[in-house]
Amino acid sequence: MRATLFIAGRQLWHRKLLNGIAVLGVMLGVLTLIAITGIMRGFQTKFLDTILQISPHVVVFDKTLGDTTPIVDQLLGGPSATAIVRQTSTDRQQRIARPTETVRAMRALEGVAAVAPLVVGSAVASAGSKETPVELRGIDPEVQDVVTPLRSMVVDGQLGGLTGAVDGAMIGHQLADLLGVKVGDNLSCASALGDRVVLRVVAIFETGVAALDKGRIYVATRRAQTILGRGDAIDRIELRLVDPDHAPAVTAQLEALFHYDAESWQETNASMLGVFDQQNMITGLIIGAVLLVGGFGILSIQIMIVLEKRRDIALLKSVGYGSRDVLAIFLTEGAVIAVLGAALGAAAGHFVLAGMRLLKSASGMGYSKPSTFAIYERPIVYVLAFGFAVGVGLLASLVPAWRASRVEPVDVLRGT
Amino acid sequence: MTSAIAAAAAPAAALAAPSLEARALVRDLGDEVKTRILHGIDLAIAPGEFVSVTGPSGSGKSTLLYLLGALDRPTSGDVLIEGVSTVGLDDRARGALRGERLGFVFQFHFLLPEFTALENVIIPMLRRRDIPRADARARALAVLDQLGIGELGGRRPTQLSGGQQQRVSIARAIAHGPRILLADEPTGNLDSAAGEAVLGIFETLVRDRGMTIVMVTHEPSYARRAQREIRLRDGRIVEIATGAPATVTTR
Repeated sequence: MRATLFIAGRQLWHRKLLNGIAVLGVMLGVLTLIAITGIMRGFQTKFLDTILQISPHVVVFDKTLGDTTPIVDQLLGGPSATAIVRQTSTDRQQRIARPTETVRAMRALEGVAAVAPLVVGSAVASAGSKETPVELRGIDPEVQDVVTPLRSMVVDGQLGGLTGAVDGAMIGHQLADLLGVKVGDNLSCASALGDRVVLRVVAIFETGVAALDKGRIYVATRRAQTILGRGDAIDRIELRLVDPDHAPAVTAQLEALFHYDAESWQETNASMLGVFDQQNMITGLIIGAVLLVGGFGILSIQIMIVLEKRRDIALLKSVGYGSRDVLAIFLTEGAVIAVLGAALGAAAGHFVLAGMRLLKSASGMGYSKPSTFAIYERPIVYVLAFGFAVGVGLLASLVPAWRASRVEPVDVLRGT
Repeated sequence: MTSAIAAAAAPAAALAAPSLEARALVRDLGDEVKTRILHGIDLAIAPGEFVSVTGPSGSGKSTLLYLLGALDRPTSGDVLIEGVSTVGLDDRARGALRGERLGFVFQFHFLLPEFTALENVIIPMLRRRDIPRADARARALAVLDQLGIGELGGRRPTQLSGGQQQRVSIARAIAHGPRILLADEPTGNLDSAAGEAVLGIFETLVRDRGMTIVMVTHEPSYARRAQREIRLRDGRIVEIATGAPATVTTR
């Protein structure tokens, strides 16, 4: 072992330039892996965190599945007389029946943290000469706040204003800018089926998601039903789960029990998650290719060194070193190059990520508000990068090391 | 028949158990067309004997030396090193045998360029678990001193003259204490003064340490200074001379 380390160490040092290039190759591979993973995963993680913060984990729509009887009707013994009496010609055919009982039943399910009924529709908001289409949401603010924490998004005014003032509205900050209104100002809201209602801005929110910040208005449930002409209908139920990863299973369970179409947050964002998958695959390919290039760097340089050192290998063997000793010497050299390159690459990757944290992302990457880059930096990434690089380095030096160990001293001495 | 001549021509020391012994040694080279390089060599070299091997190019001198040094495997026959048959040994065992019992000096010194002269001498001893590193260093320094190049231990091979490089390679061959030294044209790349110095070292090693030396050489004057001169032609021993040219026995 002492001979292996001594000889390998000196040979590495003697060819500083060549081996330095090999170290650089591995270093670049590891740097690329850590930097790209940090930036890509950072963005993805931030995106998902935002989604899970501002969106419900599961949404139940008013669209029924098949002709089967919902579980609430099964429990209560068919549609109640009151529901039939109150049905009018203006009611839509699609609505969630017995929302109070349905919400209560959903809240009792395992893994469900909170349930909020709401009414959602399209409307036009106007203030002065400006008007814009909006998505109007009728909510119970306190209940909805548990499902999608609205209070934390309020940047001006009070969420409680929705409860206190019948005509209160909470609007996105970009919408407020668009309409030129602030807290305390009035705006008008109307839809094709309902009444035009004058609302007073009681709160302004900011989610960081442009589509919501310039296109959504929250009002009390009753007010939304009036504007949208929905009577007392509830057409949507949103759920927050204890574990968001269980959303697909809970969604399936809800559909089976209540026979309403339900959608998990993964389905809602399937296209973006699909893009992430593709991004991760492409990133993996790029990183793998860069590391392989690093590995080929070691391979070619080591092969060159082995060819150049055939006489020295022959000498070592003639003075008693065996094939395993020679194999160990060249594998040690490959391992040292890989470990050194991986360590330097990890350090460089850390510095690059630290630098990225200080930079402002100008565009918000087209989705969220402009902010500093979100960086994903975990020990596991460093461990994986290090392990992968050392593995590639050892594999790359295996072929030249094996060739070195096969050198027959007598062939070299004879000059063949 | 050849072994009988060899035994008869050996000096009195050869009566002891041989240091090196070749038994019916045959070596063919070539993959498709085989060329017989050695034709059944029988040879016994006694402990403390200085033997030179001469012959024209292609006569099989170096091949014989590589076989005697367990660097090569015979097509048939056997080589015994201090009584140990090498024919059945695997590469690892042959390597260990070379590292413990033999020393090699080559025409081109084969010093490792990354290491100093002292480190070149130490390297063969590093793989020996029975020689501590401090001991290896002390031995290397002592041998370099004995060979008159103690002050050059810190220099790289490229900073040494040809003669000095060959002295370092001799130091490397003997520092670990082998009883047998095999030299393949050790003076072939040296001027006459440096060559003379190498011969002087070999004679001292035989006289003072009782080493067995087999030296392949093209230089008749050096060959004659050995106790026995084995002359090869076309892979066969054709003459064995003892002491001086006048005592040559012709087969």
